[in-house]
Amino acid sequence: MKEKTRRYIVATDVGGTCTDTIVFAEGEPVHIGKALSTPPNFGEGVINSVRSCAATMGLSIEELFRQTQLFVHGSTVVDNTVLTRDGAVTGLVTTAGFEDTLLVTRGAYGRWAGLPEDEIKHPVMTERAAPLVPADRICGVAERMDYKGAVVRELDEAATEKALRHLVDKKGVEAIAVCFLWSVFNPAHERRVRDILRRVNPAVFVTLSSEIAPVPGEYERTSTTVINAYAGRITQSYLNGLQSLLSGAGYSGPVMIMQGYGGLLPAKEASERAVGLIECGPAAGVIGAKFLGEIMGDKDIIAADMGGTTFKVGVIQDGEIEYAREPMVDRFHYVAPKIEVVSIGAGGGSIVSLDPKTNTPLVGPRSAGARPGPVCYGQGGTEPTLTDVLLLIGYMDPNTFLGGSIKLDVENARRVFKSKIADPLGMPVEEAAFGIYRVACAQITDLIHEITVERGLDPRDFVLHAFGGTCGLLCGVFGQELSVRRVVVPYTASVNCAFGLVAADIVHEYSATKVLPAPTPAAEINAIYAPMIERAKRELASEGFAADRIQLNWSVDFRYSRQVHEVTTPVRAATPLDEAGVKRLMDDFEALYERKYGRGSAYRDAGMEMTSFRLTARGLMARPSIEKEKLGGAAPDGARMGRRKVFVDAANGMAEAEIYDFTKLAPGNVMRGPAVIHTPITTIVLQARQTGRMDAYRNIVIEFAG
Amino acid sequence: MDPITFSIIRHRLFRVVDEAVITLKHVSGSAITNEGHDLMVSLYRADGSLLMGGVGFLHHLTSAAEACKAIIRRFKGQINEGDVYLLNDPYTAALHTSDIYLVAPIHHEGRLVAWSACFVHVYDIGAMNPGGFSPDSQDIYTEGISSPGLKLVDRGELRQDVLDTLLNMVRNPEMVTLDIRSMIACNNVAADRMLALIRKYGYPTVDEACATLIEQSEKLLRARLAELPDGQWQSRQYMDVKGETAKVCLTMTKKDDTLTFDFTGSSPQSRYALNCTRWASLGGLFAPLFPLLCYDITWNEGVIRPITMIAPEGSIVNCTRPAPVSVATVGAIQSVNNAACATIGKMLAASEKYRKEATTVWHANHFAIFMFGRNQRGGQSIGILTETFAGAGGARTFADGVDVGGEIPNPISRMANVETMESIFPLRYLFRRRLTDSGGPGRYRGGLGMEIAITPHDAPDGGLHYVVSGKGAKYSMSEGLGGGYPGAPNRYVWVHNDETGERNADPSFALSLEDMPGRTEDISWGVFPLMGKDALYVAWNGGGGFGDPLERDPEQVQVDVESRFVTREAARSVYGVVTDAGGIVDLAATKRLRAEMRGARMERRAAE
Repeated sequence: MKEKTRRYIVATDVGGTCTDTIVFAEGEPVHIGKALSTPPNFGEGVINSVRSCAATMGLSIEELFRQTQLFVHGSTVVDNTVLTRDGAVTGLVTTAGFEDTLLVTRGAYGRWAGLPEDEIKHPVMTERAAPLVPADRICGVAERMDYKGAVVRELDEAATEKALRHLVDKKGVEAIAVCFLWSVFNPAHERRVRDILRRVNPAVFVTLSSEIAPVPGEYERTSTTVINAYAGRITQSYLNGLQSLLSGAGYSGPVMIMQGYGGLLPAKEASERAVGLIECGPAAGVIGAKFLGEIMGDKDIIAADMGGTTFKVGVIQDGEIEYAREPMVDRFHYVAPKIEVVSIGAGGGSIVSLDPKTNTPLVGPRSAGARPGPVCYGQGGTEPTLTDVLLLIGYMDPNTFLGGSIKLDVENARRVFKSKIADPLGMPVEEAAFGIYRVACAQITDLIHEITVERGLDPRDFVLHAFGGTCGLLCGVFGQELSVRRVVVPYTASVNCAFGLVAADIVHEYSATKVLPAPTPAAEINAIYAPMIERAKRELASEGFAADRIQLNWSVDFRYSRQVHEVTTPVRAATPLDEAGVKRLMDDFEALYERKYGRGSAYRDAGMEMTSFRLTARGLMARPSIEKEKLGGAAPDGARMGRRKVFVDAANGMAEAEIYDFTKLAPGNVMRGPAVIHTPITTIVLQARQTGRMDAYRNIVIEFAG
Repeated sequence: MDPITFSIIRHRLFRVVDEAVITLKHVSGSAITNEGHDLMVSLYRADGSLLMGGVGFLHHLTSAAEACKAIIRRFKGQINEGDVYLLNDPYTAALHTSDIYLVAPIHHEGRLVAWSACFVHVYDIGAMNPGGFSPDSQDIYTEGISSPGLKLVDRGELRQDVLDTLLNMVRNPEMVTLDIRSMIACNNVAADRMLALIRKYGYPTVDEACATLIEQSEKLLRARLAELPDGQWQSRQYMDVKGETAKVCLTMTKKDDTLTFDFTGSSPQSRYALNCTRWASLGGLFAPLFPLLCYDITWNEGVIRPITMIAPEGSIVNCTRPAPVSVATVGAIQSVNNAACATIGKMLAASEKYRKEATTVWHANHFAIFMFGRNQRGGQSIGILTETFAGAGGARTFADGVDVGGEIPNPISRMANVETMESIFPLRYLFRRRLTDSGGPGRYRGGLGMEIAITPHDAPDGGLHYVVSGKGAKYSMSEGLGGGYPGAPNRYVWVHNDETGERNADPSFALSLEDMPGRTEDISWGVFPLMGKDALYVAWNGGGGFGDPLERDPEQVQVDVESRFVTREAARSVYGVVTDAGGIVDLAATKRLRAEMRGARMERRAAE
């Protein structure tokens, strides 16, 4: 089926600043391309990025596409639509008496959720975000299901039609979200609303809560349904537009779209589930880390990504990825399976300041962004940033930044930093700068510690993967402070999200919500799974997967009675289940619960319940193996660029350190800290008593002595 | 001290508290802890003074400090590494018996270096009514277990006999066990992280950073107070219970860099359980003070030093044993919260620099209804209607209050979904929505409260019972500011529908209280049944308004009317805004009406 000539997989990830491309083929090195993102017409940046990658291969984009079997894509279209409030005029139909569910956001929850702690402690200055659907486009209609899904009151169809006509004709809505109480257990009324809408106006885009987010909890479900309706059309037209751009450039194969849960969906299917695309880029980053970990034999990974404005971190434990509990886009909650990626405002552009009253140094949360950017960029920046600090302590080279394309202004950075930070602190410039660097590293240490503790994990069991333009400059310090096993700065560190796209499989997620006591007879559980399995097999077969390329994984959400925490427990026993398998599943839940919530938290006496039955159906993609190179000698002599003064530590201050050119390093080379390694896109700093080794995949592996 | 190291240690102390809170919520797993965020974790110095207050129910920060100090006094010479102490006696330090403190010493190389303390509202405390609030308790003896200090864990070993004794006296010992375990785990995490910090930087450095942090907070608050005008501001709160009215009177005096809160003039202690003890009053005034005056200052002992409280002994804000106090947290303490918020707001509004920080009173009146009985699966359930955490924001000097925006003393609370409540209890909600005309009128309107109605559904015993300790039905408690009106009062209505005769009518699909055909009975205090086809209707207060409602932008009033936040009637009679049949403002008529209303005010004033 796979032609020899069509050997490439092209993956393109659209980020806020750059659009990254990776091209993979069996037996070839990885090819990397980059171009600026082009809002609002992101498709253009995608083509530019692919073209730049093709150029490094000595091909035109048409020649590359002619030999391409698969195009994989990650996009921020949905995130952007919500952030810029650029979606459809949307209406909401809900159960009469509960019209305010979306607007009151479970009380204060929508006022404080997503805010940093300093804003939470200042409630007088906080507001709830304006809703995507205002009150005058929310219609309640008489109907009611109970907690079992039993009809308590029939849908008033005449009132429904009237409400829909009001929304469409009077309010001019282009999309309608439908969310009724308990529709999770009986979607009949929601479906009936869609039928009536098709009669009223078939052109209106519609999303039903029972289809987009079939989980109990009406506020989050309503919010999800509204986001999907709001961003639905734009997502469809973006993906359609992309496909025509691609075919214009000569590509006619399948297009797969990354989802926030780290799997791919065919473009057509993805266009119907806009919420699935939210934060799919960072999710791809975690998938990339997981893939790299599999190659290197690591199953426990902290994946940290630090660029110009944000620091993002995801956790992989025992090869499993953690899903977010209460995901948000902008300040809106939604429910969809999504890889947990926690972020804080810390990046190269983070502004360094002193608290005016206490003189205590602060890094962030404000950022100088891309414009005016750090002082040293010479674009009008007047506030010192972390990047300026990195320059002042010698970690960045003013002459080789971005391959020498921008010369950094050290003198101006020094002057500004001296007057705004060092002098008020009463410290010499380099010492103060190194102090600020320590503060930034400590804040990241604290964040990673907190999110690992939240999952009941110990960072000492993990390998840290450091991605993004700024991470390599700090990871040696916070990695050592966290006592991780080692730090890996991957060869693909600057295009990690695109790398993750190549590593992903086609994944369909199915679930059925039903509360059952545990244990429940195995036959009853198997009966819940039977229709989901049939559907999964049918859908994957239609996407071209043979039976041996289909993998089905069961998992069940458990909780203790009267407790609020639910734990998704993978089924490890043979499926369909027998009674022993159910027992094993219950034991696994208890073990997981204790691991996650701490010793003494599991409490069988309270009784156990199963609340949701999930099926993950995976169509396994053919994945090219990455070329492993032969390890050579340890001496990195060919890559030495000379020596430069860098801040070594408090005792030694600025001292000479060895500088290396990453592009001239060979696998097997070992560098000893203090040292700096410059790559075309980023910089890696080895602290004193650390060693960096280039492995067979050209990753830099940092280890700590003693 | 070196500012870099100080900055790092300060950041880490915040995270120590955060991580302990996460542990507490995880292990407890209960709805009141996780949804209502009815919890607190803080760090204390070796002498029990507050070092780092976490975001939780803030009136506990100072009380838990007193709990540490009480343990230090009581167990002098017997405090060992690995001990954990339990304290919940309101006459020693706690707010009421169901908010149990677990305090633990943190030792470094054999030396006591700090304390951690936490609380959750436990599932049950063995009082006369389930859940912790006993509105009809006569004295502290009927309010369940109450300990002035108990060694629960001795050098790392749980004293099972002690725990079993406690569990033997509560309903649902399984749930209480989890609450206790969560607090032990929480203290363990705090100690582990604190010790890691000390190991990394050395005890002298951490100790110096802690001392500096406290001095810094004191300096910053004093500097802020010095910038504010000197003066006296007053607030008076009325609480109605069964026809009796109790009042909390507060005079706040700001002089130079100090603040004095004087409760002289407050009612004598009540025979009802809404009293509070001295430590509770102190906590009650600090709860709004932290976020209103110290939003950018670390919450610790330094903030406490410039503040003095005068609370007459034997009064409702400093009751004497054995007066009942089980309803204190939503009774006198909340009135102290409100009064302090009001006086601080008045002071801030009097300063040009700090005017924007002023706020009227938010959510002035928790209704704290506890449901109990057999649920649809046959088990016994006790639990709060979490809507009590969905208060209304007060108006600001620059904007309306946030509708259903929460409360100041508990900055990150939330309510559960209807679908959650209906799966825990044999109940069905008829509606849950914002309450029209509840926000205090003003140039900036107070945020709206809500209204709900619930009826039994699939209840094996035909229904449930509930405990209600609902003052605030007669008098508004969410005070306005600068001429703004208070928010609407609460209302608790028992709708009877099981009676024979003409009145018997099914309320199952009523969408408002007016839709309910049965006899209605206003209630507020005690234990009541919710059976058969009866319904319980609860409406709760909006936030206070800021400024004269006659100065509100008429266009804004029109939007409020269109959105059903304000009725046409109130628009006219309170805001002086005239709208035509289509709801459009008649500006000329509005101008005339407002002039008339101002004139009438002057006449009334003259007549007085």
